[in-house]
Amino acid sequence: MQLYQIQEKELHKEQKLLILLMFPISFMIFGIGISVYQADFNTLAKGVVDIIVSPTILLTDFLAIGGIGAAFVNAAVIGFFNLYLLAYYKLRINGLLIAAFMTVIGFAFFGKNLFNVIPIYLGGYMYTKYQRIAFKDSILVIMFATALAPIISEISFGDILPTYIALPFGIIVGIFIGFIIVPLSTQMLKFHDGFNLYNIGFASGILGTVLTSIFRSFKIEIEPVSIIYKNNSWLIVGLLIFLFCYLMIIGLYVNRHVFKHFTEVFKYKGRLVTDFTHLVGYGITFFNMGIMGLLCIIYVIMVKGVINGPVMAGIFTVVGFSAFGKHLKNCFPIVLGVFITSLVLGYDLSSTGMIISLLFSTTLAPIAGSYGIGIGIVAGMMHLMLVTNVGVIHGGINLYNNGFAGGIVAGFIIPIVDAFKRE
Amino acid sequence: MQHEIKKITRIVDEMLTMFMMTGTHEMDVRIQKEQDKTSIYFTQYGSTFDDDYIEQLENNLNIQRQCEVEGYYWQLTGENDMDEQLFLVGAMIDQVIIEKEEGKLSIELVRFNP
Repeated sequence: MQLYQIQEKELHKEQKLLILLMFPISFMIFGIGISVYQADFNTLAKGVVDIIVSPTILLTDFLAIGGIGAAFVNAAVIGFFNLYLLAYYKLRINGLLIAAFMTVIGFAFFGKNLFNVIPIYLGGYMYTKYQRIAFKDSILVIMFATALAPIISEISFGDILPTYIALPFGIIVGIFIGFIIVPLSTQMLKFHDGFNLYNIGFASGILGTVLTSIFRSFKIEIEPVSIIYKNNSWLIVGLLIFLFCYLMIIGLYVNRHVFKHFTEVFKYKGRLVTDFTHLVGYGITFFNMGIMGLLCIIYVIMVKGVINGPVMAGIFTVVGFSAFGKHLKNCFPIVLGVFITSLVLGYDLSSTGMIISLLFSTTLAPIAGSYGIGIGIVAGMMHLMLVTNVGVIHGGINLYNNGFAGGIVAGFIIPIVDAFKRE
Repeated sequence: MQHEIKKITRIVDEMLTMFMMTGTHEMDVRIQKEQDKTSIYFTQYGSTFDDDYIEQLENNLNIQRQCEVEGYYWQLTGENDMDEQLFLVGAMIDQVIIEKEEGKLSIELVRFNP
């Protein structure tokens, strides 16, 4: 048991919300600004509509579907919506909530839009009414559960059913997902014992596999697609660097000793539940988030990759979970394992698929944190081999495919490592 | 609230794991269920915990009840013997009272019924 004696400025709940609010505000200004610069509001409006009516199955990059401006406006709307819920239900802004918020806005660049997330929230709300529990107690699970949002869009707009039935059926399936995801996700934790940070990804993978199998039994085929934005926009890179530097500056403002005490975060293994806001305070947590975000950008640029929708989802998820278990020390071995395997297998390191596999592989950071560098590297190697093969099982309807693969890897490795561990 | 009894037994499990991992040789556990709350009492005899450790223990347990964390992660409580999940225990209880006198450490955890 370790506890850092936190000495930092007290932040009120409203101030923490304002810190997070900076993200959707920046996205909205950026999205509209790009459209003003291009002097084409029609393209922005059309882009937003195109995003809403696209099937959004993996990998559907909203930057490619609706353009940069529309993708950022969509992410901003999703961000505002979720922050409104958090403020309305007066939730405590802890590490878990920061992770959920960042993950949701990240995936609003590839997969989530207001149309396909609302039915899941509605289903979750109905579940809490059915169980007579407060909605705010389950809202975080529901936020993460929007991983399965693509199935709503796929059914509604994927031309697999007649138009008159597609829309209501898609919404009903979304409500059903929201209704069952809370008990399902809680149960799935036991499979990997908290060593897979994206637990909902694992639960959604199981649920997605069941749903896809049912569809396939009725000869309805759901296959992954690949619609990816292929040009690097230095404006986007600049915005991300600005936002992550902003987090570091906030960290420094909250805790002026952040440089001296930053390494405190490395003492934690990262297994669920590791809330850095409680353990090391908000200053070090925000600083850690900013550092991890900048490192992600540096990596993508180094391998000559493109910062597009899926890659931004990966980066924001890493940043979010840097408030809830991830730091450089426990992520590095996993990433190294993925990197080595990709070299051995001859994968293109600059491809979007490879970059997101590497970024999301950090879901297994608790394994490296708990069992050391060697096991961490092995976990990373296994993760890459699994993640490139499991997407086909759920047909791409689970956005957190890496969480699904990570859950399998953790559930496989942990009992074996434990069996050979000497007391 | 669902699984109320199981949640209480897992809190006990997690606390017992923590005590046993830190070299406890003798202790008592008492659970008192009332109309509006459940109180769990732990008494450790021959306690070697120093003041710093007790302060850390109190800091970890004395966080606000966080139902959203409990609702999602309660099944991880008491599951692992590698490291403790005292943060989770703290998120599942409303009050903690810790007292130490002459080698006897007493911890009372109070969980109000939802």
